[in-house]
Amino acid sequence: MAAELTSTRLNAENHLLLDQPLLRLPHELARRNFKSVQRLVEREKEYVLPALKQTANASLSNNQTPDQALAALDAMISRMQGLKRKMENLHQEEKKIHEQSRKRIQHLERLHQIPSLADVKYDNWARVRLDRLIVDHMLRSGYTESAQQLAHEKGIEDLVDLNVFVQCQRIAESLRCGETKDALQWCGENKAALKKSQYNLEFELRLQQYIEMVRTGHKEKFVDAMIHAKRYLAPYIETQSMEIHRAAGLLAFPPDTKAEPYKSLYAFERWTYLSDLFVRTHHELLSLSSRPLLHIALSAGLSALKTPSCHSAYTSSSSNSLSTTTSVCPICSTELNELARNMPYAHHTKSYVESDPIVLPNGRIYGQQRLLEMSKKVGCVEAGKVKDPTTGEVFNESDMKKVYIM
Amino acid sequence: MELVQKEHDRLSRKITAAQGLKSVQSTIDLLQSARNAIAADPSQAAITLAKLQNPVKSSFDSINDSLKETHSGLNKYSKSLDKLFKDRPLPSTEHDVLSSQEHYINRAIAMHLLREGQFSVAATFLSEMAEKKAIKKQQEAGLSATDSAASLLDLDEVPSGEVRKQFATMYYILHELKENNNLLPAIQWSRDNKEALEARGSNLEFELCRLQFVWLFHGGQHQQGPSHGGRQAALEYARREFHSFLPRYLREVQQLLGAMAFCPNLQDSPYKNIFNNPSAWADVAHSFTREFCSLLGLSADSPLYVAATAGAIALPTLLKLQTIMKAKRTEWTTENELPVEIPLPPSYLFHSIFVCPVSKEQTTDENPPMMMPCGHVIAEESLKRLCKGSRFKCPYCPSESHPREARKVFL
Repeated sequence: MAAELTSTRLNAENHLLLDQPLLRLPHELARRNFKSVQRLVEREKEYVLPALKQTANASLSNNQTPDQALAALDAMISRMQGLKRKMENLHQEEKKIHEQSRKRIQHLERLHQIPSLADVKYDNWARVRLDRLIVDHMLRSGYTESAQQLAHEKGIEDLVDLNVFVQCQRIAESLRCGETKDALQWCGENKAALKKSQYNLEFELRLQQYIEMVRTGHKEKFVDAMIHAKRYLAPYIETQSMEIHRAAGLLAFPPDTKAEPYKSLYAFERWTYLSDLFVRTHHELLSLSSRPLLHIALSAGLSALKTPSCHSAYTSSSSNSLSTTTSVCPICSTELNELARNMPYAHHTKSYVESDPIVLPNGRIYGQQRLLEMSKKVGCVEAGKVKDPTTGEVFNESDMKKVYIM
Repeated sequence: MELVQKEHDRLSRKITAAQGLKSVQSTIDLLQSARNAIAADPSQAAITLAKLQNPVKSSFDSINDSLKETHSGLNKYSKSLDKLFKDRPLPSTEHDVLSSQEHYINRAIAMHLLREGQFSVAATFLSEMAEKKAIKKQQEAGLSATDSAASLLDLDEVPSGEVRKQFATMYYILHELKENNNLLPAIQWSRDNKEALEARGSNLEFELCRLQFVWLFHGGQHQQGPSHGGRQAALEYARREFHSFLPRYLREVQQLLGAMAFCPNLQDSPYKNIFNNPSAWADVAHSFTREFCSLLGLSADSPLYVAATAGAIALPTLLKLQTIMKAKRTEWTTENELPVEIPLPPSYLFHSIFVCPVSKEQTTDENPPMMMPCGHVIAEESLKRLCKGSRFKCPYCPSESHPREARKVFL
């Protein structure tokens, strides 16, 4: 067990847990891109082939002047040229995505060549990963500017998805401001994929539009609202009958009603809810995790590092900022201390202490070798005395007592 | 991983070939040439158009074929991804304690950026945070009904200007030290913080001065090796500065001055380690960083980095645990402690750990380690259970003692 406690083995395949979105996201984008190409081609095909046939038939039966035939051909050519232009754009986009994927695969591949966790190369790789996680966190929390700057400074633009998150944030923000247009447009672009979603974003958006119409209180708006409901809400009757009935009931209540559930339907907080729902749906569609990867990594890491001493009322002898012989534990460092307070601490089945522990009269335990060396270094201690590095008390060397830790 | 790479290569090749675009172009060419033919000879219009049917159709078919190929490439790639990440779902969102503490995370990030010397990014980040907070405040003022106590935090949660200035100082000193071999700012800093450093038992100041001595000895800015001028400067420096070190570092100072006598053949002298230490500058820079951070109550390595990396190492184990618990429908019984041991490299162990050999539990503030007169240590709860209030035998040796004689120890 002790051997495993201090393992430096690196299992690269297992280590990629946090890096799934790195490959998944560009892949989803590539698929989406491909679908648009397919749709474009399909549309032109459905236009050009019948049109060509019609023109040919018409000129065979001689009820068309050559000029008309020429005009028809010109129309086809210009449509095909339009298709080509669009396809070229999409192709550029596609190439960019795949180039990005390639770089990311290379980045992950590099991890496979690192033999152990103690390797300097692993250290460097992990630093890049931390930068990626921080950028991810910043983007998700809407600190776009900082994220861009950091990605640029570190040269990891290909390893983070700036544009995707910027777009997501823009739509979420517009929803928070009470604007459904952008979000609905996004729904339109992702219609096929949304069918598989576990959230019903589009329905909620349409319902909100309906609520806004009713909120005005004008009679003619009520008619619009009912038409809107028939057109956009009714198709969902199978799954959302409850909500739809409530929406119908809403017509009878003014916006300042105190009656639930209508009060909460009118509430402005619904916009925040919609914004969150959009973000959730968006992340689901692109196989992104619902919480920032940094949070996942941190919550695991904080627990793995935390010991009962980290939030103890007594200063730990083995790791504190009061003496040079020890380095400060990251959990005890002010940056993470509060964050780790509610985390469980790591499980250990074996004691881990220096090989030559002694106890001082004040009850503090140190490694003898290290304590003597340190006391020698600190000039103000006379020979034959030792200084407790934590409390600063000075004792006789003979007061050190051997202690047995099993 | 190899499979993923192979599939991706194949897919990229298909995409760069751009077969679809070529087919579109050939369709356009077909239509264009037909148009030209008809324009030149309107009487042939019917035949030309009839002849056009099949080639256009087949070129559309070839577009579709190339699309199908891309599609199958995409599918194969996604299968290889699925295979790579199979059994490795993203960790679930269950124990999510962190989301409610985002301000702490943001603070840690800001500190991390400062530590890394990314001052401009940190500044942008802080100003964006302030902006967001201001907007939030405004909104909340608008909707005065919502309670603001929970989310509103004052800006002093984030690293203050003081801390920022401190790190800027640190980077300035480190830069001078590493790039220009200029130790003076570092020495000045260590003098300013003399008392705090001494209490820590640090000999940073002496180390810095010693390096300065060696640097002067080697000829200062010119570094052409030991010379007469260099020796003179070093000696002067020693006379001026070293007397304050004499009580503490008498031996070391004697060594430095003794080396003067060996000047011509320092290489063979017992002093060569002091004077020809290639890593001296890096060592001093490292210990300077450590002291500087320690005085601020911070660890030398970025805690965010250490924690995130430890997290990545710990995740596979935790994930396995999660699947097992789900399969067996069990739950954690130890609320404050992880249920499994996580293998971390030795450099990630910072504290001594004491596990009571009797109860196999880690000791805490409530259940501290107690030392019996014989020198064996067990947890307080185990002690109480063993002794039942009267004299008892140590579980590890024959000596008997009274529980009153046991003393609390600190690891």
